[in-house]
Amino acid sequence: MSANRIRFFALLAISLVFLLAWAFPVVWSMLNSLKTDRDALAYPPKLIFSPTLEAYRDVLFGSGSILPNLISSMVISVGTTIVTMLMAVPAAYALARLRFRGKKFAGFYVLATQMLPPVGIIIPYFLVLRNIGWIDTYQGIILIYLSFSLPFAIWLLVSYFEDIPFEMEEAAYLDGASRLRTLWRIIIPQVRGGIAVTIVFVFLNAWNEFLFAVVLSGNTVRPVTVAMFNFVSVEQTLWAKLAAVSVLAMLPVVVLGVVAQKHIVKGLTVGAVKGGGRR
Amino acid sequence: MGSAATATKVNATAIPASDFGRVLAQRERRFAAALLAPAFLALLATTTFPLLFLVWTSAFRMDLAMPFTNGYVGLENYKVLLTDERFWSSLLISLVYTGSTVILQVVIGLALALLVMDMKRGQGWFRVIAILPVVLSPAVVGMIWRTFMLAPEFGIIDFLAINAGLGSKNWLGDPLLAMVSVIIIHTWQWTPFAFMVLLASLAALPEDIYEAARLDRATAWQRFQRITLPLLRPAIVMVIIMRTMVALTAFAAIFTVTGGGPGTATEILNLYAYRKSFTELSIGYGSALAVALLIVTILISAVLFAMRRAK
Repeated sequence: MSANRIRFFALLAISLVFLLAWAFPVVWSMLNSLKTDRDALAYPPKLIFSPTLEAYRDVLFGSGSILPNLISSMVISVGTTIVTMLMAVPAAYALARLRFRGKKFAGFYVLATQMLPPVGIIIPYFLVLRNIGWIDTYQGIILIYLSFSLPFAIWLLVSYFEDIPFEMEEAAYLDGASRLRTLWRIIIPQVRGGIAVTIVFVFLNAWNEFLFAVVLSGNTVRPVTVAMFNFVSVEQTLWAKLAAVSVLAMLPVVVLGVVAQKHIVKGLTVGAVKGGGRR
Repeated sequence: MGSAATATKVNATAIPASDFGRVLAQRERRFAAALLAPAFLALLATTTFPLLFLVWTSAFRMDLAMPFTNGYVGLENYKVLLTDERFWSSLLISLVYTGSTVILQVVIGLALALLVMDMKRGQGWFRVIAILPVVLSPAVVGMIWRTFMLAPEFGIIDFLAINAGLGSKNWLGDPLLAMVSVIIIHTWQWTPFAFMVLLASLAALPEDIYEAARLDRATAWQRFQRITLPLLRPAIVMVIIMRTMVALTAFAAIFTVTGGGPGTATEILNLYAYRKSFTELSIGYGSALAVALLIVTILISAVLFAMRRAK
């Protein structure tokens, strides 16, 4: 075998190992979620089995259903996304396109807020929310999610706003359109793509958040990432059901991630230059 | 906001033309202020105010389990912290966890990006599959690893270990193995991030420099060392900064996999502050720990940003 062929097969092997390693936990949960509890427990692990949707039926419609938790996750994520975008788009536009004193400081402030460790924010927040009775409420969780979603969304959007040529808005402005109208009619349509990417990121981050959710959730509002603990206990783990819940919890983010794959890389890179991601 | 905009419009018509530029600038300032106000008020309320309140609570004894002992204690919490062995060990664990995961992510991510860069086919697979870990919730990731991957005699890793003749291991029950496990999980989840960012940066490098280097008969290693690495340096440093910030405050995966245990073997400083505040309900001391974590974060990021500036 020539050196080139050896090289080729070595590369192929390395690639396959990494692709398998990254895909495996996801694929394996999916497989297990289609098994019966007995098949899921089998040793050695079963690759061939007759698939069933039993586990999904149980976790969705059985007692202790996680349907309310999926709804909680959805309300929190959609709510956070809407509030964040309503505030971030105008702020990002101002930071990217307008001249005003203290602009540099404003940009730095947004960046600096991302440095705060979440555990430092949640301790005082918990005390305040407890006093005003906002523990276990949607507004309590959505409000604190702004602490990480806003800075991220603003920085990401600024990078998209900066890409538009200035002549665009100058022309509209000279034609007599007001600034607000220019922003709404001329600028926003130009950054539709950037806004879509930002929405995906804000939704993903809100869906995946865990620390704030653990502290602030209760019986009424409990996202699925927190509720999945019910399926693991010291005495026994409900393997097939746990797998089904995991798959349901990852479904929205995996679908979004794969669909928006190309744009996510740009988002990550922008984050890499300007801000930070979420853990 | 609407009324402010109309007010400036009225002013503009009343003022002589020579002041037009000044009026425009003023109008722009007001418009900017109106656009920024909602976001900045929200940021003040959700980041700056909690930070000040955190520093304030760290000067109190605030025990939710024993409220009758609460009161102002000044710097007492910080004095206790300096002699708290669990604090120092959690700090050390934080540094080991952060250092090792960041180095592994950057080295593996860069190696893989270089490898994939040269691929004629199959790049697309990498791009799609690499997205998976990055978008998953660390809590879900932790749960999957804890059960389907690492559980003794059930998880796939243990299955492989047994078949490789290593025997079944108590991956999360042994202090050293538990630490190795959480490091591997973090590296597994976030290496694709470093990989994707570095791959994007590699793709943006100018091709003609490499052509010239090839004509000069530079070896592959020389090309990597003299061209790729220096050109990629800003991207690498930025990846290091971002991953460090995140690793220092990692929470969900460690919390779901080991809960900081066994004992305090995987308890990073972040987790210690959480446990102290919300499990042991000692909020004042927990606040002091969170302030310490903030100081550590600022110090480390200052060093990293200095690294970024240097040349």
